[in-house]
Amino acid sequence: MEFLRRALNPWGENVPIGVSWDLIWAAVIVGSVFVVGHALLVPKKVGAAEIDEDEARGLPEKVQRHTVGARGFHWSMSVAMFVLLITAFFPVVGIRFPWVTIHWIAGVVLILTVLYHIWHVFAKQDFWTMWIGRRDVEEGRDSLKAALGRSGEGEAGAGSGSRRPRAGKYPVDQKMFHHAAMIVTIGAVVTGILMMFRIDNFLWAENTYMFSDAAWGWIYVIHGICGIGLIFLVIAHVYFAIRPEKRWMTWSMIHGLIDREKYLQNHDPKRWVVAESGSDAVEAGADGD
Amino acid sequence: MLQPEVIQARRGGFTRRKFIKGVVAAGATASAAGYLFRGSGALSPFLTAQGAVERLVTLNVNGQQRRVEVPRQETLAMTLRYQLGLTGTKLGCDRAECGACTLLIDGVTHYGCSILTHTVRGREVTTIEGLERNGEMHPVQQAVLDEGGFQCAFCAPGFVMSMVGMLDRNPNPTREEAAELLAGNLCRCGDYDKILNTAMRAAELSGARA
Amino acid sequence: MAVIRDMIPPFELYQPAEIDDALRLMDQYGDQGWVLAGGLDTFDWFKDRIKRPQAVIDLAAVEEIRGIAAGADGGLEIGAMTSLTDVADHADVQGRYPLLAEAAGLVATPQIRNQGTLGGNIVQDTRCWYYRSGWPCYRAGGNICYAATARSMNREHCIVGASRCVAVNPSDTAPALVALDAEMVVASSSGERTFPAADFFIGPDIDIERMTVLEPGDLLTRIALPAPWEGARWYFEKIRDRKSWDFSLVSVASMLRVEGGAIADARIVVNSIAPFPVRMTAVETAIRGREPNEETGQLAGEIAIEGARALRHNDYKIALTRNLVKRSIRDAA
Ligand SMILES: Cc1cc2nc3c(=O)[nH]c(=O)nc-3n(C[C@H](O)[C@H](O)[C@H](O)COP(=O)(O)OP(=O)(O)OC[C@H]3O[C@@H](n4cnc5c(N)ncnc54)[C@H](O)[C@@H]3O)c2cc1C
Ligand code: FES
Ligand code: FES
Repeated sequence: MEFLRRALNPWGENVPIGVSWDLIWAAVIVGSVFVVGHALLVPKKVGAAEIDEDEARGLPEKVQRHTVGARGFHWSMSVAMFVLLITAFFPVVGIRFPWVTIHWIAGVVLILTVLYHIWHVFAKQDFWTMWIGRRDVEEGRDSLKAALGRSGEGEAGAGSGSRRPRAGKYPVDQKMFHHAAMIVTIGAVVTGILMMFRIDNFLWAENTYMFSDAAWGWIYVIHGICGIGLIFLVIAHVYFAIRPEKRWMTWSMIHGLIDREKYLQNHDPKRWVVAESGSDAVEAGADGD
Repeated sequence: MLQPEVIQARRGGFTRRKFIKGVVAAGATASAAGYLFRGSGALSPFLTAQGAVERLVTLNVNGQQRRVEVPRQETLAMTLRYQLGLTGTKLGCDRAECGACTLLIDGVTHYGCSILTHTVRGREVTTIEGLERNGEMHPVQQAVLDEGGFQCAFCAPGFVMSMVGMLDRNPNPTREEAAELLAGNLCRCGDYDKILNTAMRAAELSGARA
Repeated sequence: MAVIRDMIPPFELYQPAEIDDALRLMDQYGDQGWVLAGGLDTFDWFKDRIKRPQAVIDLAAVEEIRGIAAGADGGLEIGAMTSLTDVADHADVQGRYPLLAEAAGLVATPQIRNQGTLGGNIVQDTRCWYYRSGWPCYRAGGNICYAATARSMNREHCIVGASRCVAVNPSDTAPALVALDAEMVVASSSGERTFPAADFFIGPDIDIERMTVLEPGDLLTRIALPAPWEGARWYFEKIRDRKSWDFSLVSVASMLRVEGGAIADARIVVNSIAPFPVRMTAVETAIRGREPNEETGQLAGEIAIEGARALRHNDYKIALTRNLVKRSIRDAA
């Protein structure tokens, strides 16, 4: 299998022209193997933490996990992403339709949502809630052990199963997904903006001469790699979203709220501070490590 | 090394009879001709054993049966010139863009540079060398002599063959019709006027003879 | 210009006598197989060593798809392997489909028409020389159109219908067949499909590497013409640099059904201005009910060029298209 498609340009230089489309199938296969492997290997139920009545005191019935703005961003970006992936890869695998215009317009929509997201994160939310810090690393290590059936500090009582460590606002696996998606999306967006100089669009004039053939080739390669990376990430993301024990999180991306019980079982109130009942459900302060 | 198409012919369940007509199991490029692009000597020992019959084609050229070993990808003009020594057929452009290679297949004009030799098996090929019959010139040839129709005459064999084809379609053309029917030949010397005189003279002569 | 080379690289050659055998071979080789009809598009590719298929499947012996016969409902069926000369000279084609006879008779040269087939003429690839020089353009799987840059030589390229690639469809018979509502009958190992001529040709927006719907494994077997319109008027004109040999710069094919002095129905198709023959449906609608005169032609010409956009060297095609469409209505006979 080849990774790059290469060609001789008119000046006899061997330049890359894009990523090998075989990698689409590689991403689909790796994604499927990951999903199947995870479904088979990881037990459905990890022992849930008992609820500490003290912690629960004064908390509202429902805790807000995602604001309207965050949810709006998530869903508009996901629609744009699906449109982008479908218009990018369906024609390649043989389902033909005029895709270019839809693709770049969806790309522009994606860029707008990402810009909104960046503004929202810095202006309205706490940037650091997504940061991976020392405690996240510990949390990751412990939850991995818990998932594999070995408890962290030997505190697994008989019959209670292994306990998952509690996370901050976002569990470390979600943070890792976020960062992976962020990197490939930025890669695709930046190269995509450049590629728009090679097609007819109303924003600016075509300019094929902006870069050398080789540089253009690498831009196409990076765009392709990011796109194919997104195939894998989207498969994994959708899989986790529909897993039974994670559906409360999926629902919270729709109506914004999680139960107090879920909050206490899965989140460490010290790392994700929720205001007392009576005041509006507000977002947490920083994790701060 | 087994020849791929022979193996596949068996596996694919093609009927043998069809494939006698169907498969061309010619030796790739083992012929001696020096102009060949790539020799593939490795193939030939096997070919001789396996498909000697199919490797050779019998061509009907100028009324003679000529047996010749032809690579599958060879064009008729190449076979005629470099294997059968019939160099009357010229190669100008080798791209169907000049007409120097014009010859007749079953009486119809074709560009010899742009047809595979294997495609014309079983069909009648006539080149400029085949026009003369029993020592007597073809009326078109006589017309060339009468009119002094060409300058350098590199285009002449092609034009002559086109005129023969033309007279078959339209024995009595007007000058315009002749120009139309000869529009598939170029003359670098730009001698079209005399060439058309020749064509008209040829029509006259062949009419007289008929 | 391409480097002149004297020998085609080797390939396997098959000469099946039956459609089924041809289809089996095409399936077996997939995109490594090449269907050979008259070869007048094919051999340039081979000689320049730009396309190097493993196997060539020569259709010369498939008699089933050669020849012209009466079709269903008073129509006519033409086998894909019928030579352009046979199409142009056929009494029925000349008598009932003069538009097609004219178009086929204007292709290239007598020798090319004797050998080139109707099927091959329809399926032939574009003549954009950047592409045919073997450069890695979009159509060759790359990511650039060498003909669409600010410095390209693009006198022969698109004024409409481009999407990244600006190559045009070169066929003379294609616009005639679209204007005649022909249907393309395509066989493959999974059965037979039929496409209206207008849908048979596709643009680069749908598939930038192909000119038609045909995929590897698909064989165009015949072209079915419906019964012609009673008393229809027609017009065909091909503009080219030389009166012989050359591909069209712009060509127009039109059919008009005139009732009581007014146009009742029309087909106006222009080729070599887009990657596919362009059926001018807006023009057809606009001229319905009008007299086929100078004024209607003028209107039609203006509508025909709406949205057309010239590249650096081909703005003349816009004027040419306008005038040809005008003539095709005014002068249809
Ligand atoms: C110098 C020159 C000038 C020309 N000028 C003109 C012109 O003015 N106008 C014009 O219209 N054409 C012109 N042509 C093009 C020529 O007419 C066409 O190339 C020719 O008609 C193609 O037909 P063919 O039978 O030779 O096709 P081939 O070269 O054998 O095939 C052409 C393509 O079609 C495919 N194909 C052929 N038959 C089938 C089938 N039945 N099913 C599926 N695929 C098939 C082949 O695989 C190949 O890709 C010119 C060609 C040359 C060389
Ligand atoms: S050599 Fe055949 S046409 Fe020029
Ligand atoms: S006489 Fe010289 S090319 Fe015709």
